[in-house]
Amino acid sequence: MDLFVAALGFGLVSMSVIAIAAVGFTMQFGITNMINLAYGEVMISSAYLAYYLNRAGISIWVGMVAGALFGAVFSFLLNRIVYAPFLRKGTSYLGMVIVSLAVSLMIANLLIPIVGYYPRSYQEDPGGLIRLGGIALTRDQVIVIGVAVVLMLAIHALLTYTRLGKAMRATAANPTLARNCGIPTQRVIDAVWLITGALCGLAGVVAALNSDSFAIANGAAFLITILAAAVLGGAGQPYGAMIGAVLIGLITELSAAAWSPQYKEVVAFGILVLVMVLRPQGLLAKRGALAAAG
Amino acid sequence: MPSRFVFAVGAILTLAACGGTTPSGNGLGTGALTVGVIAPFTGADAGLGPAYYAACLPAALSINNNGGVGGRQVSCSKFDTRGEPADAVPAANQMIASTSGLMAVVGCTSDEASTVVPIIDRAKIPMFCMTGQSEFNKTTAKYFHRLVPADVYDAYAMVGSAIYGPGHSPYKRAALVFGNDIGSQAFVQPATNAFTKLGGTIAINLPISLTASSYRTEVKQMLDSHPDVIFTEALGAAGTFLKEVKTQNGGQMIPFLGTSATIDPVWFQQVRDAIGISDFLKYYGGVDLGYTFSGAAYTEFLANLNASASQFADAPKYKQRGSTLHLYDGIIMTALAMVATNSSDPSVYNPKIIDIANGSTGATVVNTYKDGVAAIKAGKSIRFEGAGGQNNFNQWNNSQSGYILVTYDKDGNEVQVGQLTPAQTATIIAAGGS
Repeated sequence: MDLFVAALGFGLVSMSVIAIAAVGFTMQFGITNMINLAYGEVMISSAYLAYYLNRAGISIWVGMVAGALFGAVFSFLLNRIVYAPFLRKGTSYLGMVIVSLAVSLMIANLLIPIVGYYPRSYQEDPGGLIRLGGIALTRDQVIVIGVAVVLMLAIHALLTYTRLGKAMRATAANPTLARNCGIPTQRVIDAVWLITGALCGLAGVVAALNSDSFAIANGAAFLITILAAAVLGGAGQPYGAMIGAVLIGLITELSAAAWSPQYKEVVAFGILVLVMVLRPQGLLAKRGALAAAG
Repeated sequence: MPSRFVFAVGAILTLAACGGTTPSGNGLGTGALTVGVIAPFTGADAGLGPAYYAACLPAALSINNNGGVGGRQVSCSKFDTRGEPADAVPAANQMIASTSGLMAVVGCTSDEASTVVPIIDRAKIPMFCMTGQSEFNKTTAKYFHRLVPADVYDAYAMVGSAIYGPGHSPYKRAALVFGNDIGSQAFVQPATNAFTKLGGTIAINLPISLTASSYRTEVKQMLDSHPDVIFTEALGAAGTFLKEVKTQNGGQMIPFLGTSATIDPVWFQQVRDAIGISDFLKYYGGVDLGYTFSGAAYTEFLANLNASASQFADAPKYKQRGSTLHLYDGIIMTALAMVATNSSDPSVYNPKIIDIANGSTGATVVNTYKDGVAAIKAGKSIRFEGAGGQNNFNQWNNSQSGYILVTYDKDGNEVQVGQLTPAQTATIIAAGGS
């Protein structure tokens, strides 16, 4: 029982990391209709930026902010320079997936001569263990959970109470109608890439901090888990991504405690497959998970 | 007419008599030669490919600076398997189909050896593979060569370190933490057999996914089993796992013993950065083959390795990487085999590699490509003892030597701390059942 309670605590950390990343990813898809397979590479690029700042003596928490800013700008430029021109030319849905895959591979291979293939670690003292019953987490892990909670609340507030959030929801529902109603959809899309890119960058630093040691290959590895959480909750549904992150994060750690840790990812994806069979649209979406927005 | 015929026959017979001690192959041909480096350069095991590339570059320099292979210059080409069998097959096929003058292949790790060895063997290209998988202990692939022991012997050496190693009492409870891939799991059963038969207990066997982003639950399980030592390799994941051990164990590390693959600059940096150099030096123990890192062969290797930095900046970091030394030797031996047989046909020079490695009675020992070529041209049979030391291929083209117990210094250089005696080695092997 002690192990399960401890695993529950670890699951809180895992789900926090996944939630930050998955919400950004699914918002990108939901509003821009773009499955951005380069998301993992933008995450790891941000992680490396924070690493070099950390090596220069800057606190990792400042590096996290820098990673978020970098992710925002990188994602914004990625859309403006690469994705948007292809979309204007009428590239098909599948074609855009291939484009993003190509971008992902290009970023990963461009990173190798810059950062090398050696794994890196942040110079950060995680702090002593904070115990609450059978749950034992470090100070940094508690901060990560806190950051995730704040961000989820901020996303909720953005989507619910702000004009930008409402414009985002309108653009996601029907971009043509939204434009006709006077919503500057291009500016909304730019804002989406900036905001989700910031989430992406922040998630990269958080994930790298969570892993203690990271390398370029972690980018692609992160993406698989993010995709699973996003699809589980319903593609394009931020609240669904949050639920998906909770499920994936908890299930992976609890299954490692109950069964064998080598299968924890298998269990998580098994649950995903089961949900997709029983509810193909995901937990929250009302339509097919990959149906176009609008 | 008849006199001209007699003259021609006489000339031919005379020429044949003069060529009694020279190689009688069909010649070394023309054009560039290539050594294919087939290994993971991306993906979870991205640290492996560069070590093997770092072997090829100085070997090419050593050969090219001394006339090449019959004047043919050698270069190195990388073929990325991504550490996945599914990606390795097209990489191997592409290597064979698109590379002219392919003289040898190096790399083929446990990630992909099972799939690529048959392909390369069918193409009749000599290969030097860095796989410790037991399926190659008695392989029938004629072009396969292994210059490092099977993983089972690495496992035995780790058990030896745990029981007979210096600076500690024999460990009693071991946690086995290896990746859940085929290559990593090859250590588990031999280590379990040997350690338990010699009085130890396996506290927990914990196969881990090397691509997981965290191992908190796994570490908690391991700590709950109260091991006094960890046997591990966990390439790519060791830093994450061991940092978590230190965190959950109240800042206190548990001694950890690594396979010979942990004698690697990438592994060193990853774990050092994760747990700190002080704890690394205090709690780490490794095993490795008994390299001297000295002598004529190593001196030339080191000089060319440093010179290779112009092509591969990290090359000098591999100066003590066992696989780098062995693959360097493999390429040199292949080139010497080509010269010795005067042939660019792999079916002709492949068997000669074994002769050059093992030597025959009265063979001249050479340590460099230059000396080897000179001895061959002088009509001598040779035995090559290279940067990795002496080789002794058995009938299955496997070569191996004894293990030493090692650690690192603060700069990442290997330091020998002990050696298993023949009696200890025999005891462990008997306990392990091989």
